[in-house]
Amino acid sequence: MGRRTIRGILRKSHSLACLALAVSLFHPVFPPGDAAAADLTFSSKTYVLGYERELAGGQKNRYVPAYEYLSADAANLGGKPVAIHFYGWGRVDLADQTGTGKTSGDIGSLYIEYLHPQGNAQVKAGRFLLAEGVAMETLDGGFAKVTTPLGLGFAAYGGVPVEHSILDNTDKGDSLYGGRVFFARSGFVEVGVSYLKEKGSFQGKDRELYGGDLWLRVAGPVELTGQVAYNQAVHEIASQRYAVRIVPHSTLDVSAGYESYTYKGLFQPALNPAFVSPAVDNGDKVQTIFGVLDWRFLPGWTLELAAKDIRHDKADPGNASRGEIGVRYAYNGRKDVAGLSAAAVAADKDENEYQEIRGFASYSPAKIRLALDAMAQKYKQEINGKKNAYQVVASAGYQLLAALQLSGDLTYTQSPNYQEDYAGLIRATLELGTSTGGKK
Amino acid sequence: MNRRALAGNILGAALLASLLGCSAVSQTPSVPPKHPGDLPPGRVDCLECHKDVSTGALKPYASLRHSRVFIDSHGTYARKSQSLCASCHAPAFCQTCHAAKEELKPNTRMGDRPDRMAPHRGDYLVTHRIDGRIDPGSCYRCHGNKNDAKCRQCHK
Repeated sequence: MGRRTIRGILRKSHSLACLALAVSLFHPVFPPGDAAAADLTFSSKTYVLGYERELAGGQKNRYVPAYEYLSADAANLGGKPVAIHFYGWGRVDLADQTGTGKTSGDIGSLYIEYLHPQGNAQVKAGRFLLAEGVAMETLDGGFAKVTTPLGLGFAAYGGVPVEHSILDNTDKGDSLYGGRVFFARSGFVEVGVSYLKEKGSFQGKDRELYGGDLWLRVAGPVELTGQVAYNQAVHEIASQRYAVRIVPHSTLDVSAGYESYTYKGLFQPALNPAFVSPAVDNGDKVQTIFGVLDWRFLPGWTLELAAKDIRHDKADPGNASRGEIGVRYAYNGRKDVAGLSAAAVAADKDENEYQEIRGFASYSPAKIRLALDAMAQKYKQEINGKKNAYQVVASAGYQLLAALQLSGDLTYTQSPNYQEDYAGLIRATLELGTSTGGKK
Repeated sequence: MNRRALAGNILGAALLASLLGCSAVSQTPSVPPKHPGDLPPGRVDCLECHKDVSTGALKPYASLRHSRVFIDSHGTYARKSQSLCASCHAPAFCQTCHAAKEELKPNTRMGDRPDRMAPHRGDYLVTHRIDGRIDPGSCYRCHGNKNDAKCRQCHK
């Protein structure tokens, strides 16, 4: 226990030291006075929730957690293509304790970034979300990427993974590194191979993945995509996905494809007991055929269709199919959207079947914003003695200042878990910036 | 060649390319760090203003329009060029869902935005038992190594 604690402290210290070092290394780039040349954006989102829960024994607890989410981005520092990004949140419980402590929080990202004006070359250092080839990680470390004049590109990364384990006897990884080599030709093809290794003890082994990815424009409106990940630790293909997408017209978008994964291959590095035996049968494999359609059939009106057929090797949980249809209408200069959708899951086992219907709309005249969202679900087999669930979320907001909006939500839920549940939320959103242009 | 050597070569090649500087870098303009104009509300359709192929992203704008098809497969594009996403989205946007540590569901935070594709609407504590049985891989991508301490109340 003591060893683990010291190790944790050392890791945290190491992570913070890396962040401090990353920032200090680039300090000379920002001489005093240059800050005025930067594009600055700052966002604060405050949420105060209120709800009650009845515990076993009849005791009622009242929860009022207050959350603060902050993000700040400083780009174009000193007139150079250098930026610093920050995103984090914190929670304080104003009544009964909601989590493992009265307070909690996290730094989601804090990194410095250089974006070269040519060749999509870039360097990052600090804590950041990484998506590159077979990697989809939060990392305390560094990342570099460059494309050469021949179209051949390289990406490399390394550092300490930001993960959390709730699995007994398994800690998060110690270190993570990898890279991707790719070839891209404008408007025609991008093909890559990637590698990732995470040192740790994931079911007794390191995490080691080889990946392949493809984007290919076959003909004008037709493109093929594919990605595959091979898990070296268990010697099998962990996951693969192939799709064809056709955009024959600016109003129509269609895609169909196949994807599969094995529990043994995909879940080997899991740090959550929900993905480890006995919660799941490690010998199972999932194969899915899917199709999606998005059609703007009239100005503002969009039809969405989605279907997938999910096949399991094992009779338990068995196979299932999900179909979905929805219509959306955007109005009021697209500030508001109304939608209606229905979905149904048919399955081998009754316990896996349900139907769902949902409707929503918003209305934003001048400084007021109103929104309503209602959903009903019907289960084929009773859960906790109930076959139905309902939820309605009503929201009302007011733009107090150009940069400040206040709003509140009231949520009513009736489900197998709740006889009748009311929850409230107050939201304050402050958005400040020194420049125009896109960031969402 | 063993795997360690192969990984070393890949990293070495990337480092070499970086060290060679500008001569090793394609002269094609990068994806701009920020979309130059204000973006309209709602789902963005690049084809409303752009045509043909994006010089920075090296892909047709038609591939990038934020239709339901794109939203369902956005990871395919993000894993090739994260800087493309960053041109219009702040890092905080991605981490609304893709967070290593989080307590609030995205749709709770975005109760005033029912138009957004936020996962886990309704009492998802009930529905996740079904979705988790029939397609656990879709859960794993976000919850495989996250601080979901509440999962332990049932998943021990």
